[in-house]
Amino acid sequence: MRVSALTRFLGLSMALGLILAACGTQGGGSPGASSGGVESQAPEPNELAILEWSGYEAEDFWTDFAQAHPDTEVTFEFGDTDANILALMQGGSQADVFHFYTGWQQFYVDAGLVREIDTSKLSNWDAVPDAYKELGQIDGKQYFLPWDWGFTSILYNTEHVPEVTSWDVLMDPAYEGHVSMWNDGPAAVAVSSYINGWDETNLTDEQLAEIEADWIAQKPLNAFYWSGEYTDLCPAVQDGTVWVAYAWQGCYATALAAGDPVAYATPEEGRNSWFGLYGISADTDSYELALEFLDMKLAETTCANAVSLFYYGCANGDVMAAIDDPVLIEAFAINDPSILESTNFTPLVTEEQRTAWTAMWERVQAE
Amino acid sequence: MLGRRGTLPFLAGPPALWLALFFVVPLLLIAAFSLRAGSGAVGPAGAWVPSIEHYQQVFGTPAFLRLLGLSVATAVGIATLATLLAYPVAYYLTFRAGTRATLYLTLLLIPFAVSYLLRVMAWKLMLGPDGGINSLLQGLGLTSEPLGLLLYSRPAVIVTLVYVWVPFAALPIYAAMQRIDRSHLEAAADLGAGPWARFWRVTVPLSLPGALATFFMVFIPTVGEYVTPALVGGTDGIMYGNIILGFFTRSANWPLGSAMAMIMLVLTLLLVVVALRIVDLRRVSL
Repeated sequence: MRVSALTRFLGLSMALGLILAACGTQGGGSPGASSGGVESQAPEPNELAILEWSGYEAEDFWTDFAQAHPDTEVTFEFGDTDANILALMQGGSQADVFHFYTGWQQFYVDAGLVREIDTSKLSNWDAVPDAYKELGQIDGKQYFLPWDWGFTSILYNTEHVPEVTSWDVLMDPAYEGHVSMWNDGPAAVAVSSYINGWDETNLTDEQLAEIEADWIAQKPLNAFYWSGEYTDLCPAVQDGTVWVAYAWQGCYATALAAGDPVAYATPEEGRNSWFGLYGISADTDSYELALEFLDMKLAETTCANAVSLFYYGCANGDVMAAIDDPVLIEAFAINDPSILESTNFTPLVTEEQRTAWTAMWERVQAE
Repeated sequence: MLGRRGTLPFLAGPPALWLALFFVVPLLLIAAFSLRAGSGAVGPAGAWVPSIEHYQQVFGTPAFLRLLGLSVATAVGIATLATLLAYPVAYYLTFRAGTRATLYLTLLLIPFAVSYLLRVMAWKLMLGPDGGINSLLQGLGLTSEPLGLLLYSRPAVIVTLVYVWVPFAALPIYAAMQRIDRSHLEAAADLGAGPWARFWRVTVPLSLPGALATFFMVFIPTVGEYVTPALVGGTDGIMYGNIILGFFTRSANWPLGSAMAMIMLVLTLLLVVVALRIVDLRRVSL
């Protein structure tokens, strides 16, 4: 009898748990992104949750908002890749604002995860060049706010590696044990597409199989696949473990400012360029506060901090025009206006491509 | 006072509810995800179409199966090493430390005062090109440049995890040895058994349940380990758990990650059952 009572008790507990879990999922609104500018009936809570990349929680990255709203509680949740950020949002993240990078815009809109931005309420919006604004638009609606931007290229140690002219240096066995690739499938597909001269948005199955084989062959060359730019990659570049790396310009500027023997390639296939975008969650109860947060991200001090302290470009054109630090001029190739002509901008990808590319990368790692 | 009928729900109820909510329910959700068609990351209220496509994909990918086998082998090695290294520590605490046993036991547990991540990161520094071990080797003139094998390799994962587990691994063996009735050892001595014979024929069999508990306590979580391989393993030291993590994070493909997790869970349970059938504890426990 005691066993049967316990069994009934456990069964009831599990059923209760399942019901609670089912009720606790993301809001079940209809598919399709929400419209902005709809005022909540209840007063908004004085707190804001941000789904961010590790490092961006530093107050220098949102100093204008912190000063304007000293009583607002700002909390951070972290992701480490675009797929991770999307997974967290799809999985019911409670974040009011989320941060991701170009190529992934359509998924958020299609899944109804993002609310349109009422740009009439952004006081710093006019400082953003129109070309940047367009990156955040889907079907003519401004769903995303462009903020940080930069390059991806080859960062290399000039004491061990002669001038780099191609992305294929990542595949060079001469640097075995001293290479580091970003731990990201779409990035691997982009690099292979540059090397082979393929259109990454229009790959055949055979081409994807060839890409997989190339990265499996490349795997032993890596010391490790890096996940965090400042936590994994930069220390290894600066201590001499890594000589050749897939890298963003922030790590390059950091090492350059420290006097390390590094250079940042302009490959014949062109650099890659990316843009960071902020979206407001469709489920937020703090839409007005989220708008204020985005507006303050574009404010002069916050943008200048992103540029001068963290070596990221910022969407505020006035701030970028005022750069005079030689390290930053070098990092952003400001003295080479032609560089953008050969730069590969990160394209939009489909869900089918994302699934195939990320699964390919997991297979590469498992080999 | 509660009667016997009231005691069970009173004592077992809270932990059972806790486990049901935070262990059984998540496990059922993972099982449900693994049988859901399509990819992506969705809440349990999302559309759910049953499918075994993810299990087919895992079993159809030799690289995943090879890595699972390698991870099991690595975990067996780590569990064996940790058990062998912990056994003498437990023996000393039980039979030789005398009144200082409590002090030594406290010292043994001091590493737990430091965060697991910090302990692993310490090894990253130790094994790095400018770390203590490479500096020592170069200082002694044994190497002319830093050894690359030390960090970002499978041996680095094994060394670090054995270090992490050894203090913890000694506890079940110590508990088992404390339960050994000293009269068995005295009887063996009276019957002419020497120290080695008493150790092999009395102490070892009677402490075997503790040693086996230690082995499985290390083996089971190590099969799915992903933090240490991510920090010190590099591309060579990746384990099956890292790929599961990848499907939940980098790839945003929860159903496939769930299928991989379920396969690992079932395999681990099977290995434990098989091992326990091979080593029948009822026969070794007097």
